[in-house]
Amino acid sequence: MGTLIIVLTYIAYVFIVVVYTVKVLAWLRMPPHIRWDLYPVIHEEHYRYGGSYYEQQEWWKKPRPKNTWRSLLYSLKDNFTMGEYYERNRLYWLFLFPWHIGFIFIITFHILCFFAAVAMYGGLDIGAVSAHLAGRVFYYVLLCTGGIAFIAGTFGSLGMPIIRLADRGLRTYAMPMNFFNYLFFFTVYGSGLLSWLVLDPNLDEYRTYWLGLITLTAPALHTMTLIHIILFDIFLIYLPFTRSTHYITRILAYYFIRWDDEPNLPGSDLERQIAGLLGRKVSWEGNHIPTGKSWAEAATERGFPEGKKEKP
Amino acid sequence: MKKEMKIDEFCRPGEQLAEIDPAEIIPLPPPYDRIEKAPIRKLAEEQRKRMDASLDGVVAIGLTPPASPEEEKAFIEKFLAGLEKLFSADDNWTFLQPLTHTLEYCVKCQICSDACPTYLASGRQDIYRPTMRPEILRRIIHTYVKKDHLLLRKFQGSDIDLNWQTLARLAELAYRCTLCRRCAQVCLLGCDNALVSREIRKVFSQQMGIAPKELHEKGSVQQLRVGSSTGMTPAALKNIMEFVEEEIEEKTGRKIKIPVDKKGADMLLIHNAGEFMAWPENLEAFAILLDAAGVDWTLSTEIAGYDSVNYGVWYDDIQFARVAIRQSMAAKSLGVRKISLGECGHAHKAGIVVADRVLTGDLNIPRESILPLLEEIVLRGRIKLDPSRNNFPVTLHDPCNMVRLMGIVAPQRRILKQICPQFREMEPHGVENYCCGGGSGFAITQSTNFPDWRSAVSGRMKMKQILTAFEDVPGPEVKKYLCAPCSNCKGQFRDMFEYYGVWEKSGILYGGLVELIVNAMTNLKKPFIQWEWH
Ligand code: SF4
Ligand code: SF4
Repeated sequence: MGTLIIVLTYIAYVFIVVVYTVKVLAWLRMPPHIRWDLYPVIHEEHYRYGGSYYEQQEWWKKPRPKNTWRSLLYSLKDNFTMGEYYERNRLYWLFLFPWHIGFIFIITFHILCFFAAVAMYGGLDIGAVSAHLAGRVFYYVLLCTGGIAFIAGTFGSLGMPIIRLADRGLRTYAMPMNFFNYLFFFTVYGSGLLSWLVLDPNLDEYRTYWLGLITLTAPALHTMTLIHIILFDIFLIYLPFTRSTHYITRILAYYFIRWDDEPNLPGSDLERQIAGLLGRKVSWEGNHIPTGKSWAEAATERGFPEGKKEKP
Repeated sequence: MKKEMKIDEFCRPGEQLAEIDPAEIIPLPPPYDRIEKAPIRKLAEEQRKRMDASLDGVVAIGLTPPASPEEEKAFIEKFLAGLEKLFSADDNWTFLQPLTHTLEYCVKCQICSDACPTYLASGRQDIYRPTMRPEILRRIIHTYVKKDHLLLRKFQGSDIDLNWQTLARLAELAYRCTLCRRCAQVCLLGCDNALVSREIRKVFSQQMGIAPKELHEKGSVQQLRVGSSTGMTPAALKNIMEFVEEEIEEKTGRKIKIPVDKKGADMLLIHNAGEFMAWPENLEAFAILLDAAGVDWTLSTEIAGYDSVNYGVWYDDIQFARVAIRQSMAAKSLGVRKISLGECGHAHKAGIVVADRVLTGDLNIPRESILPLLEEIVLRGRIKLDPSRNNFPVTLHDPCNMVRLMGIVAPQRRILKQICPQFREMEPHGVENYCCGGGSGFAITQSTNFPDWRSAVSGRMKMKQILTAFEDVPGPEVKKYLCAPCSNCKGQFRDMFEYYGVWEKSGILYGGLVELIVNAMTNLKKPFIQWEWH
């Protein structure tokens, strides 16, 4: 069983990283689009009231300072706080927030376990009464992240189906997959919570498990912890099939769509790219469009938009 | 409480899905709280037979039902072929990324619904939720384009049974969204349901040749043919200019020659040609002001060079590109250094921002808003102004395209604070404003009972905001000014104020920004603003 766990865990991590990477690359590889910015644009100087560089005369002669750190922090903040939900639908936020916190903390917990295991391999003793400060810090940080993950995740996955059914708008758009997810995630977090509270109050077993993973030795674990770990591995494999990539793509959407205010200046790379895109062929069939011609031709060809095509 | 609507009902042939109920639409302050008439005229029996109105009893497009099952099948197939093109990097590089993102990553949390003025004003009718259009589209894609397995579709709630009426409703529904993008602003996932409305319009237009005639036939097609979507030819423009010069002389005693086709001028100013027809005082005010400030400018008489509108931005990429290119060519042939856009919100967004990735090489002529120049003229004291001449209550409408969609927020406020002692903001304002209700072509759409809908529903939130901004002076005896630096919004205010009887009940006049500036000019003998303009 211990070997199975090791193999499954490696498969799960490789799978999730590969699929997430493929999805993010596919997102990024789409061609540059028409500008569709929406204000406030957070890297802008006057972001507080939503101002842009267009507020200046002859903006193309002026510098366009960008505060990239501010926009990065802004976009990351909502991954944690979900402020818009807090403002607009507090009851929903009450469950959605712990549901997401559970997710973020369980991933963080496992990453930290990995580092803890590396430290243990290097000789660090991790525990409440460890002789090393680092060992004690690791112990409490792991206990907190794991504990928060299990409690928040369980609470969130119990509350989400309730709010999904109780709120009129959410109910209209609910799908069976939502409820499957809540149930499945509940078993993942709930099994973790149970094994923590009943069998492993110091969360020692996860360090043992991660030590086993990095040394490739089958760990000896309680059945309950084993079940949780198997469920967690399946959870990792399942995640890419849900909309969970939104943790990353929402930030991409902010940067590459909502805040993309990069002007197409003469002689720029962007201008070259656009010139290439204008050479692509259109297959739209409306009568005002010369099907099969390039964008540039369609936009400039004589006789259109009125020139009706003969129906074949 | 209204009946809750299931998404599947959208595809159920026959009955009308929603009805605007006077008891449920958001209330307006007195005396507008007394609802004396049905908010939306009912269509005649004959109209209902001719045009599908099964969405909400309102018609913006009014598709004619197919005569046979074969026709229905052909219609659906053509739509599906168009839908595939939306996801092609050749056919839709223009919006592929934002569209794909929205369709794939929306979690249907409904936060955007509470930001949507149309949905709220309607009394929360489910069909007007920003998520409804994308949801229907998503289901069609999964069932008919991606052809997911039935079990997967059931699991993911993405199954749909497509028929002609579903598409007819979807086409109409795409024209119940003003593209104000307030919904997109609150989405934490970076999704943009407004864009989905636009992309649905695009499939209907670019693939099927279906669009409201005010946008297409009488809009962009006419603009490319005769020069302006108003139908005004270059010869007619010259006549209007003569009229405008005479009017200026009559009102101010000044003889001003409006520069037309002046080669090598510094700036080509392009107005929304609606101003020439409906609000010549805006042109007059611009001419007076630019003349007084010594600006080197010109108008053009070339095709599209005298009409800044670009309706393509609302429904059709190709039409958009055609108009943008013609406008730039007009500037190029005059040899001007830059193009400046007059008081029109969508023309700002279309001409300055959206056209940015369409115009290349020597057509990529620098383009800017006129507002920063107006700000400089006012704040730097390039002309003498007396704010006491504007001593009446003034509030400001923020055109979505100019403000939320391109971040021009402060210049107009700095001007108003300088020249209007009784200026007050609406709430919310700036980038969080509410649309006038006439966005995305609605203000020009006059089909059957559609104007009723845009006054009663899509513009209702704005109506409430305006009345609230003037709540300290509600009666008609105090004349008030709603400053709307956008032709399109003015068109909506004209119709909506008429619909509610705003002049009679509240004494509110709507108009542009430049009129207020000229009204404050000390060397004009008479006030420029004439309250009879209403
Ligand atoms: S568009 Fe955004 S705010 Fe609206 S339902 Fe989807 S995820 Fe939620
Ligand atoms: S763009 Fe405006 S009208 Fe359209 S759905 Fe969004 S908020 Fe509503």
